Amino acid sequence: MNMAQRITITILWILTCMTMQAQGDPLVEALRKFQAGDLAGAKTLVDQAVRDPLHAEDPEAWLLRGFVYKDSFKDTKAGPEADLVRNEALASLYTCIGLDSAGTYRENAMQAYDYLARTFFNDAARAMQELQDERARALFDNYKEAILRLDPQANLRKREVEFLNALGTVYTKRFDQDRTVLNWFDKAVDTYRKVLSLDPENYGANYNLATLYYNRGVYNIQHITAEDDIPSIQRIQEVSREYFQEALPFMLKAHDMNPDRRETLLGLEIIYYSLQDQENSDRFRELFESLPPMEQD
Amino acid sequence: MGRGYKILLVLPFLLCSALPIQRDADKDTTAILQANYLYNIAKLVEWKDTAMRNGNFIIGVIGGANLYQELIKQYSTRTIGKQPIEVRKLPRTADVERCHILFVGREDLALLPEIYKRMQGQPTMVVTEYAGALEDGAVVNFVKVENLLKYELSLANAQKHGLVVGSTLKNLAHRVEE
Repeated sequence: MNMAQRITITILWILTCMTMQAQGDPLVEALRKFQAGDLAGAKTLVDQAVRDPLHAEDPEAWLLRGFVYKDSFKDTKAGPEADLVRNEALASLYTCIGLDSAGTYRENAMQAYDYLARTFFNDAARAMQELQDERARALFDNYKEAILRLDPQANLRKREVEFLNALGTVYTKRFDQDRTVLNWFDKAVDTYRKVLSLDPENYGANYNLATLYYNRGVYNIQHITAEDDIPSIQRIQEVSREYFQEALPFMLKAHDMNPDRRETLLGLEIIYYSLQDQENSDRFRELFESLPPMEQD
Repeated sequence: MGRGYKILLVLPFLLCSALPIQRDADKDTTAILQANYLYNIAKLVEWKDTAMRNGNFIIGVIGGANLYQELIKQYSTRTIGKQPIEVRKLPRTADVERCHILFVGREDLALLPEIYKRMQGQPTMVVTEYAGALEDGAVVNFVKVENLLKYELSLANAQKHGLVVGSTLKNLAHRVEE
């Protein structure tokens, strides 16, 4: 039985009970409106119902309110208004679960709650793709809060790692767009380091952090001009050396995790080259060139 | 409806990497540094041969493709004194034309014994990048010291080629061979 069928049966059951009990009850009217597809009317009535002492502690009323707001959320264009509607839906479903000591509505409420929580995550992913990092962070925080509210023991580490890696990439892209804005560099570094504190074996974070440091070092050297005298270029080199040295252990770690990855072999060749370590640079170049040719699609 | 009704699976974040590391010529940090060093060195050396003080200031490059590109990109519109810089990519042969500075990259070290021989007494500063170059006859040699690119120079070899090395260049060198 799918979710829609289960919801329908639940609603019909509620309707039957309510019809028998109270004609003119705002909850019954709200259900009728909901079934008729009048979400605005249903919202007004269900809000009225849960304020009524008769239904304030009634899990059925809160379940219906959760469904009404959930559907309303689906009909609302993404943005602050949709966020508010979704929060109302989640709060109603959570209240329903809390009040439903017999567990009668638990499964339906949980499914709807889970669906809504996932929409936070999916919206965070969309915001990330549009480089809206602040919104993405806020949505991901909402996702975590929603999941943990229902299950304080939930393990969200994998999701957090996934999110932070993507966030680090957004910050890196922002930094690559304008490397004079060091704020993005610092944020990207902090984000990847946070990933590694959660998951030291994360290949992507190790590789990306190494690349970030390396590119920063290269950027300094690329901006040497004819106006720079010898003391200047020696100072610039010293600064860049620190970035190359920062990059190295992360690229080595990524290489240890995937010794045959071309990108890390190339990365090590070039980092060592920038560190003026020709011997190690040549060693990794040889390893790179010893790999079989890449398959053509 | 504004949204898809069924979103049963959580959308994965696209796992994309930062700008990947590539072997781009414009990221060849050694070439960038060498090009700047050569330009500064040229400014801090005097050629005693009066014939070398007229016309273009010629920097010849054997090997060192990225160095050549960097010199063209950053310094080919500059001058040394009143002499416009001309950067020439030379063929891989010891039969070298006259130039102010001749850089021979590490991939062409085999040419150097013959080049040293032919350059004896010529007003050309030979610049290389291998251990023991000053003993062999180079005036300037790029060396790698503590993960940094530096240079060493031979005053004796400079003198043999009619070059007067300024004190600044001497003071900033990693090593000076008298």
